[in-house]
Amino acid sequence: MSYKFPSDINYTTSHEWVEIQNSIATVGITDYAQHQLGDIVFVELPELGMVLEKESNAGEIESVKAVGDLIMPLSGEIVEVNEKLADNPELVNSSPFGDGWMIKINISHVSEIDELISVEKYKEFVKSEEQ
Amino acid sequence: MKSEKLKGRKTPLYDVHRKLGGRMVEFSGWLMPVQYESIIKEHEAVRYNAGIFDVSHMGEFLLKGRDIISFLQYIMINDLKLLEVSKGQYSCMCYENGTVVDDLMYYEEKEDLFRMIVNAGNIEKDFQWLNQHIMGQDVKVQNLSSERGRLAFQGPKTDDLLQPLLDVELSNIKRFYFRHCNLNNMPIFIARTGYTGERGFEISFDNSYSVEIWDSLMSTGAKPAGLGARDSLRLEACYSLYGHEINDSITPIEAGLSWLVKPKEGIDYIGKEILMTQKFKGTERILVGLNLIDKGIIRENYKIFKGGEQIGYVTSGGFSPTLKKTIGLGLVKTQHKKIGTEIEIEIRGKLLKGKIVDTPFYRNV
Repeated sequence: MSYKFPSDINYTTSHEWVEIQNSIATVGITDYAQHQLGDIVFVELPELGMVLEKESNAGEIESVKAVGDLIMPLSGEIVEVNEKLADNPELVNSSPFGDGWMIKINISHVSEIDELISVEKYKEFVKSEEQ
Repeated sequence: MKSEKLKGRKTPLYDVHRKLGGRMVEFSGWLMPVQYESIIKEHEAVRYNAGIFDVSHMGEFLLKGRDIISFLQYIMINDLKLLEVSKGQYSCMCYENGTVVDDLMYYEEKEDLFRMIVNAGNIEKDFQWLNQHIMGQDVKVQNLSSERGRLAFQGPKTDDLLQPLLDVELSNIKRFYFRHCNLNNMPIFIARTGYTGERGFEISFDNSYSVEIWDSLMSTGAKPAGLGARDSLRLEACYSLYGHEINDSITPIEAGLSWLVKPKEGIDYIGKEILMTQKFKGTERILVGLNLIDKGIIRENYKIFKGGEQIGYVTSGGFSPTLKKTIGLGLVKTQHKKIGTEIEIEIRGKLLKGKIVDTPFYRNV
């Protein structure tokens, strides 16, 4: 099974991807994650203005047969959520790195960025999960 | 995601499923495909075209003997007087307290030869149940489950797609009726029955033909469909699933199957007294359809509340690809069963607003 692994972004071992521009991080779940979940039918995202810690629960991603958690990859304030997902949750399946993005965070602890993993490390991690 | 070593029996189509990209899960002791490509796409294939399901894990019994009909009249809540040769009937077998042993179909091949199809998870239990109730009658039950394969071919296009492969006229087979015939020269038992709420057929045959018959059906252009789609289709149609809407602590009356409980004048059957009482006096709880007003997904075992008090629980829930929203079935206290009643469903600690709705959600048969 071949999954998409864009190389210009960061990842977490809970299968989020993170794209950082200045102090704003855009977050979604990876192609591997959407494949594991199956058809996404509902996405619950946090309210704007919420300040959440790294590794806390930022939302729920429900597929036909399962529920997955969206885990904050970095601490910060939720400054934007993808409203398209309310009516079109399937965007997470069809475009996990594009139109299926989930939240934007105003990063509060820049040092946490170093704890994200590279695409190479993430690829290895996925390989180990598949064994 | 951790990949655990799955344990379970394999149908003759296991390798075929893997090759098609089937995601295998354990179901009633069997390894079955929950989906190939996408549960929603497979669901839609059945609603708008044709889908093929491997249901070889289900049980098949053959009953032989002169006393089958009177024997089954005692075991089954439905009335075999409504049956005839070449026809099938849906029924439940119940315990003395009216709760359900299993739901199943039986087909009258001849007065002294019946074919019975039972749920995969209840094969041994049902076989025991039937045998322990033969009291000197001329009835023998043969368990053919491990020798027989079974496929469901469901969808509005199935008549047209299947006809060229068969040597019988499909339009002569009415709903619930069956025939023995040949599919590409392979002998099959075919019934116009199904569990999806669409037109379609269920086919059984000797195990050895499994792959060839699957390939023949695939050659029509129909899509392989897994257990995930099978569940979302039957939920839209509001067909019971044993272990959810019916089980050994729920009666058919509570499960909304009052029509199945027949008076059968002068004929006693197991559970008759309690079931007929429930049929006329009602029950304390009853199965209802559910929708959410707030956003979320209804799932089985979620609690149902009203006015701060738990009034029931969800027996089955999920996403309806046809209605594009979440649907569910639940058992609630009878005084709250009215359609339109607003209720709350507890989802991961939060109470979401919902309401009781009419059923079925969708049927096209």
